[in-house]
Amino acid sequence: MSDSPYWNPKTETMPRARLDELKLFKLRALCDWAAERSPFHKRKFEKAGFRTSQLKSLDDLRRVPMMTRPEWMQSQAESPLFGDLLAAPPALATRYHLTSGTSGRQPLRVLDGMKDWEWIAEAWCYGFWAFGVRAQDTVFFAFSYGSFIGFWGAHYCCEKIGSLVLASGNMTTENRVKQIVEMGATTVCATPTYALRMAQQAREMGIDLPGSRVDKLIVSGEPAGSIPAVKKMLEEQWGAKCGDTAGMTEIGTIMIFECTRQPGGTHIIEDHFIEEVLDPNTLEPVGYGVEGERVVTSFGRGFIPLLRYRTGDLVKKVPHTHCTCGRTWDLYDGGILGRTDDMKLIRGTNVYPRAVEAIVREFREVDEFQIVVWRKDNVQDEITVKVELKREGARGADALLAKLGKDLAAAHEGLRFNVELAPEGSLPRFELKAKRLEDERKLP
Amino acid sequence: MKDKDLLGNPLTDVERETLELYDRLKKLATRPDAPPCVERNAKKALSCLWQAVNDLHLRFEQLYDAGV
Repeated sequence: MSDSPYWNPKTETMPRARLDELKLFKLRALCDWAAERSPFHKRKFEKAGFRTSQLKSLDDLRRVPMMTRPEWMQSQAESPLFGDLLAAPPALATRYHLTSGTSGRQPLRVLDGMKDWEWIAEAWCYGFWAFGVRAQDTVFFAFSYGSFIGFWGAHYCCEKIGSLVLASGNMTTENRVKQIVEMGATTVCATPTYALRMAQQAREMGIDLPGSRVDKLIVSGEPAGSIPAVKKMLEEQWGAKCGDTAGMTEIGTIMIFECTRQPGGTHIIEDHFIEEVLDPNTLEPVGYGVEGERVVTSFGRGFIPLLRYRTGDLVKKVPHTHCTCGRTWDLYDGGILGRTDDMKLIRGTNVYPRAVEAIVREFREVDEFQIVVWRKDNVQDEITVKVELKREGARGADALLAKLGKDLAAAHEGLRFNVELAPEGSLPRFELKAKRLEDERKLP
Repeated sequence: MKDKDLLGNPLTDVERETLELYDRLKKLATRPDAPPCVERNAKKALSCLWQAVNDLHLRFEQLYDAGV
């Protein structure tokens, strides 16, 4: 079975009706557990008049009260350090992590028990195995191994698979590039932004990355990994196939991954999660092919039961038949499309950073960019895209900037974008999640 | 339900052996007379095997009361 393309053939190819039975079984058990052990959930269930016995079919999932990040933050503020979500004593935890804090809000603190931590690695195994990582691979992690959970689980997943794992900790970008080549890494894991940064560094060092042994680039942490123009750029600059994954600290691991068939979307790990897609305003479910907000229920981390958690991620679910890999698990077309809270309203037009990035990355001469939203004369909202060009792109800068401005406007109902050339090296670079949007407007 | 998974399917040989080993490990991991080198490694092994019984939906339970 070690030649199986599936980490767990039993559930990855399970008929969908059986998959629903399995989810219902686990949902009932999880609700019982949460009601019995987590004061947070006990309180919410009582307030909503919900009891596990009401779960007759998977449709009854809607009876389970949703949980939100503000509720979680409030719980932590009221009873530090961890709030009253915990379903097990903190003394049983073996790991402590924090959300990345890129949203500027108070980070969430999470604890994992021994089997939770193994489960976190297990979920990554589904994704890494599906993208072809095997025992003979040498996997390099461009990751700082701090309190942000990031690629921690992926590291232990690769140990479980039997790969040789290279942990780069606090190395400089230059040393990382050197080690990838010297050690003959076959797989590199990083955020899309940092993978581009390493490729740039390699060029400056005269290192031929496409000529290296790297044949798989696995990215996570930003929606850019599923933007076709970014993926194409990464694949060209690394000479490797680029596979996207996405997860979140609140669940501790990934919930979606790309398989080797890469049909333009990411499979949902459906035996460990229930992923709902809801209209963010009405909270009613939306159908296949309609964009909505991800709401996740996780069957993994029992320490902090996660039931119908509103993620704020925007996704579009499509049926499993969109992929020919044989998995019966549905997909998110285009991965994570953005967030409900990162949309900016500029003079009546909705602007999403991911959509801007998708257009900017069509211009191969662009090395780095930044989006700045500001207010002119305290009245009119403006949006400026600053771009740094690669040295070879500098000659045609004026024409490029004009074309970029035109393309951005065309994709945004004619909204005027100011496009400026930024001096080389002036824009910020990122190792973890990139934060390329600055909103300089004074909020009321 | 020793001979069936959580959805009522009969167990394969591999599944039966996995489940038997899991149950034995659970007992070993909570024996009060086991020395630390046995108890802690049994707990670690149990946390790994929990993944297999969970993935194959042979069991779905929490192990915190067993210290795992």
